Amino acid sequence: MGLIRAVFDAAFRQGGPRLKPVGPRWPLLLFHVDTGGCGGCGMELEALSAGPYDMEGAGFGFVPSPRSADVLLVTGTLTRTMAPVLEAAWQAMPKPKGLICVGGCAMDGGIFPENYTVMGGLDRKAAIDLQIPGCPPTPQQVLDGLCSLFGQRAQPAKGQAEGSSSTSS
Amino acid sequence: MDAVSLIYAGQETDTPWRFRLDELGWRDMVTALGHDTLPFAGLWCDGTDVHALFMLSATQPLAATLALEDGRYPALSPARPVSSLYERMAYDLYDAEAMWAVDVRPLVDHDVWSATAPLAASPGPAGGHKGQISFQPSEALLAAGGANGGAGPATGQMETPLHVAIAFSGETITRAETVSGYAHRGLAQRWRNSRVDDACRLSGRVAAGCSVAHQAAFCQAVEAACGSAVGPEAGLIRIVLGELERILLHLHTLSGLARGAGALVVASRYAWFREKLLAESALVIGSRLLMDHCVPGGASLRDATGLGDLCSRLAKLGEEIYPALANLWRTYPALSLRLSSLGKVDEALLDRVGLDGPVARASGRDCDGRRTQRIYQSLWRLTAGRHGGTAEDRALVLLDEIGESLRMLGEAAPRLGLTAGGRVDLTLQDGEGLGITEGPWGSVIYWVQLHAGRVAQVFVHDPAPAALMVFEASLPGQDVADVALVRQSLGVNAAALDG
Repeated sequence: MGLIRAVFDAAFRQGGPRLKPVGPRWPLLLFHVDTGGCGGCGMELEALSAGPYDMEGAGFGFVPSPRSADVLLVTGTLTRTMAPVLEAAWQAMPKPKGLICVGGCAMDGGIFPENYTVMGGLDRKAAIDLQIPGCPPTPQQVLDGLCSLFGQRAQPAKGQAEGSSSTSS
Repeated sequence: MDAVSLIYAGQETDTPWRFRLDELGWRDMVTALGHDTLPFAGLWCDGTDVHALFMLSATQPLAATLALEDGRYPALSPARPVSSLYERMAYDLYDAEAMWAVDVRPLVDHDVWSATAPLAASPGPAGGHKGQISFQPSEALLAAGGANGGAGPATGQMETPLHVAIAFSGETITRAETVSGYAHRGLAQRWRNSRVDDACRLSGRVAAGCSVAHQAAFCQAVEAACGSAVGPEAGLIRIVLGELERILLHLHTLSGLARGAGALVVASRYAWFREKLLAESALVIGSRLLMDHCVPGGASLRDATGLGDLCSRLAKLGEEIYPALANLWRTYPALSLRLSSLGKVDEALLDRVGLDGPVARASGRDCDGRRTQRIYQSLWRLTAGRHGGTAEDRALVLLDEIGESLRMLGEAAPRLGLTAGGRVDLTLQDGEGLGITEGPWGSVIYWVQLHAGRVAQVFVHDPAPAALMVFEASLPGQDVADVALVRQSLGVNAAALDG
């Protein structure tokens, strides 16, 4: 499919130098699209934004419109019905822009690989700036992943035990 | 004759609660259902037969089966409106046509799949639609007049994808319809001929936040099909996980409702309490959304022997923190006022669509599947909540249920002790089984058919289809800006709906 060909800015490259944009690109604004998973990653993102993780303090925020977003944050396996919606959201975003996949489904389809209605994950379909694996990843893992974009390490939320995982042991 | 007698008059099958009817018997059953109150739990197709599931009581199923004739069967939707969603799904997946159906719009197939009727014996050609699917307003929506608008499926919020189309006049919604299918992952196909463990993992991902309810019901169904059952200790572990799931999802829902209503302090406190419970549970349970802990034959936890102790700690946390949280909700300025006019659901609507769970309880319906389960007997305490049927009543019912479930964890702790639960070795044999649990948003029922050591077919009853109909019916008269709040307070989950 000719879905997403990310012309992504070097500032968002994983493992790249610390090139956090300054000025108008602070904080980094994320537009979330659930492309058809079970909704678990969305719940963890909500926990990240509402819970005691200080996401805004770390420099990230969710926005309700792709027009004001820097990064498209995708969760869930990509269904054929959602693919054009995702494409439209991507096209609506201003440049420079980035693409982040949260959870195994968004990366490679995870537990929902390709079938008559599912196209699988975005891996090999689009240039992905950051992949955060897990089914689903914990809010802390998502925040760590986001911070890794700038070579930073997130402060663990107070009261979060080590070994907490969203993925079953 | 009433519908039950008509079903019993059918031909017996290997499953004691399922009877095969001929087309005339099925038609008589539909006619009888028109003036009968037999609770309807769902309709599904397996390619050759169509099955309708009813619940004689909270634990006693009754199913009717009809062989498809030229791919057709008489619809149940004239007698049970919620059946239209199941009929539309059966048409999209199997090309099974419901005659005299009240609604024949596509539900999940919007002409973009790689095959039409993908589960039929001979699937059709690929859909020819390119680009975003377009909403086809019904005549009723057009007749409502005023301006038209819509929201979703990508709103930037964290909910599952669903498009809500509305007609509105000024700021007030006059009519609403939904377009679903964005989250259709083809679960029915994935379940078909799958290994039991894989099928169980899939059932945990029908709807996040209700994983325990789905997986426990799936496991019960598999165990019933094998003529087996888990011991009381493993059963109690599942109950404890189910109650913990209820607490966590209700806290999540209340936090979202408070945020949507502008009470950010309340939202933050509820999210904080949820994270505190999760942090406490992490080392014993091993996952945050409680996925994959109910497995066929038992339960699987990181440290099952620590569960009793964990329950005591969670109940203690509840005693320390919950009263202040509940008080905060009840006394926060204008929060009650904001929610009290939202999404009123009356009993007649609930009866028409057959929705149970906290939404029905907040409208005065006396329904809770937990009451009929023996294992709950020493845990249960009847609570009387609010009965007004508004979003505020529902929030207060959820709030009560959190307190009640925290107390149940405390009661279960000494009974759990240091038990590891144990696991029953299942001998997979051909057969059918049914599993029922009371999930956070209502009853979850699994019908599982095993064949040659694998899962042949799975049917799921989730509150989602009925909740969607209630959602659509409760939007007229609401403010355009309140669509998301009403949706959240009714627990409308597109992932569970689309399957």
